[in-house]
Amino acid sequence: MASPKEDCSSITLAFMDLAIQQAKLALDSLEVPVGCVIVEDGEVIASGRNRTNETRNATRHAEMEAIDTVLEKWQKKGLSKSETAENFSKCSLFVTCEPCIMCASALSILGIKEVFYGCANDKFGGCGSILSFHSSNSNPVTSGGLPQGKDFKCSGGIMASEAISLFRSFYEQGNPNAPKPHRPLILPETQ
Amino acid sequence: MDAWQIVYVPDKPPIPPDQQSTVDVIATVIEPRLANTLVRRLNQIVPLENLRHVKRLRWRMAYLAGKTLLCLILCLASEHGDQFDSIPHEVQELISPHKLSTFVTKVCKYAATSKEEWEEQCKLWPTSFHPPTYSIDGITGFSEEDSRSVFSFMNSAIQLAKSGGGSVVNAAVIVDPSAKIVIATARDQIYSWHAPKDEAILETSCSERPFASHIDSNGVMSCETPGGFPDDSKQLYDDVSCLYPWRWAEQKTDMSSCCWHPLRHAAIVAIESSASRDRRLYPSSGDIQDKLVDMNSAHSSSTGSPAKRQKTNLTDVKSDWKLETCCEGSHSLAARPYLCTGYDIFLVWEPCAMCAMALVHQRIRRIFFAFPNPNAGAVGSVYRLQGEKSLNHHYAVFRVLVPAQVLDGAETCHGQPTSTVVDNYGI
Repeated sequence: MASPKEDCSSITLAFMDLAIQQAKLALDSLEVPVGCVIVEDGEVIASGRNRTNETRNATRHAEMEAIDTVLEKWQKKGLSKSETAENFSKCSLFVTCEPCIMCASALSILGIKEVFYGCANDKFGGCGSILSFHSSNSNPVTSGGLPQGKDFKCSGGIMASEAISLFRSFYEQGNPNAPKPHRPLILPETQ
Repeated sequence: MDAWQIVYVPDKPPIPPDQQSTVDVIATVIEPRLANTLVRRLNQIVPLENLRHVKRLRWRMAYLAGKTLLCLILCLASEHGDQFDSIPHEVQELISPHKLSTFVTKVCKYAATSKEEWEEQCKLWPTSFHPPTYSIDGITGFSEEDSRSVFSFMNSAIQLAKSGGGSVVNAAVIVDPSAKIVIATARDQIYSWHAPKDEAILETSCSERPFASHIDSNGVMSCETPGGFPDDSKQLYDDVSCLYPWRWAEQKTDMSSCCWHPLRHAAIVAIESSASRDRRLYPSSGDIQDKLVDMNSAHSSSTGSPAKRQKTNLTDVKSDWKLETCCEGSHSLAARPYLCTGYDIFLVWEPCAMCAMALVHQRIRRIFFAFPNPNAGAVGSVYRLQGEKSLNHHYAVFRVLVPAQVLDGAETCHGQPTSTVVDNYGI
């Protein structure tokens, strides 16, 4: 599922760079540096970054932050549920690290069109590393005709080294919110 | 179902003890006097790396000429082709001087996880068995008192699920089991959610302990909201978000609610509420505290009575603490909890993957659910996150079987624990 780096168009890299900027904002706020942007029709409609330490809510990942922004925006415009679903099916997510099982599952519930990510997530990844929510073929139980989460296209390895170097800086400075004692974290290998 | 029961949902799907995977090995029959030398040498040249639970030697069943004989595993058999040609050269060299004849036999591929599995394994070939040592309370059984507390909290989750007047949704109750206090409660909010304008409103709108008044002197909650719970078999429970997470778009927009959110499942909302409680009860924490203090002082000076304001805030916090201390045991308030470490969550339905992973992130210790979620459940039905080794946190999962009369609302929650089943129950 991971496409090689050289396939990336300059526009893909430009959006990923914006996601990296978000991750840097997270790093500056002593958060695990993950950032993302949601793109609709070639335009960034929302951005997000990790806020798990600040909120003491470990589910406040970059993706969840950006999704909330988008939903709020569309609800203010008065979009119905079906219009919202249709809009999500035209949106792409650019995120610096492979979405975790929770976020990948959420993206599949919302029916996002496509996900581009930086480094793989060897511990929690929900787009192929641990489980696969982008592709229903790998669902261990067949749906039996019942509606299931929607598949989405997924490409990894985009600006992965930048994403990883942010993680390195973060763990070098130490996660202020991690339970003690600090355990050295093994960073994902560059692909 | 007539009685309350707690059933452990293990990390791995249970396999009938007599259907365990096996592998072929090449073995031989030897005299006991050769055993020591041969085993030592074989362990050097062909160690049974992935079969550490398998014993290399077994007694032979029959006696030959009055002598006891042993069976010895030489090496793994090759998966295809001639078994005996595949014996490594070094092993051949070892067996030929003794003119040993070889045969293929089966051994169990994985170490036994229960006594029943182990007994079955030994019929094939002896293995060793180390009973698992569990660190999470309840896996090896619940005391009567703990069971009663589990049933009581589950009942309150069920009452919460049907408290909406209209349709039944999923409900979540996060509990600190050491103090038997409710940390947060939530219902699904995917179709109607009154969005808070800012943080302050969020804080007050989160009902922190809606059951507080029902906690009796023993710290056990009582529940007294009998109401009809539709028959499990007759209704589809379309509005339970974890059951059909992808169906949100098919629902009509409810104009009376100002917001809706496809991801606000009960567990997610409960986590948010517990995080908000954490921030309120333990505001002093490094960076965040500094910001809050800054904001407070700036605000106070403009209102002109900083001292008074601060005092009021302090009293509020103190009384909150007192309320909790009175029903607390060993739990120390001095140290603020890290996320939901040590807490339990009671859910009416088995959580979907999004919620189950959210509960991993928030470090929930135990999940109790009443009904399985066959299409989307992620703690036993479709996925089994408690058994995903790569995750950085693992909770224990239990299914609570609820008596029919509780679901019908004909009886209140003080069910007597008739039995506590802890076995390899699979959903």
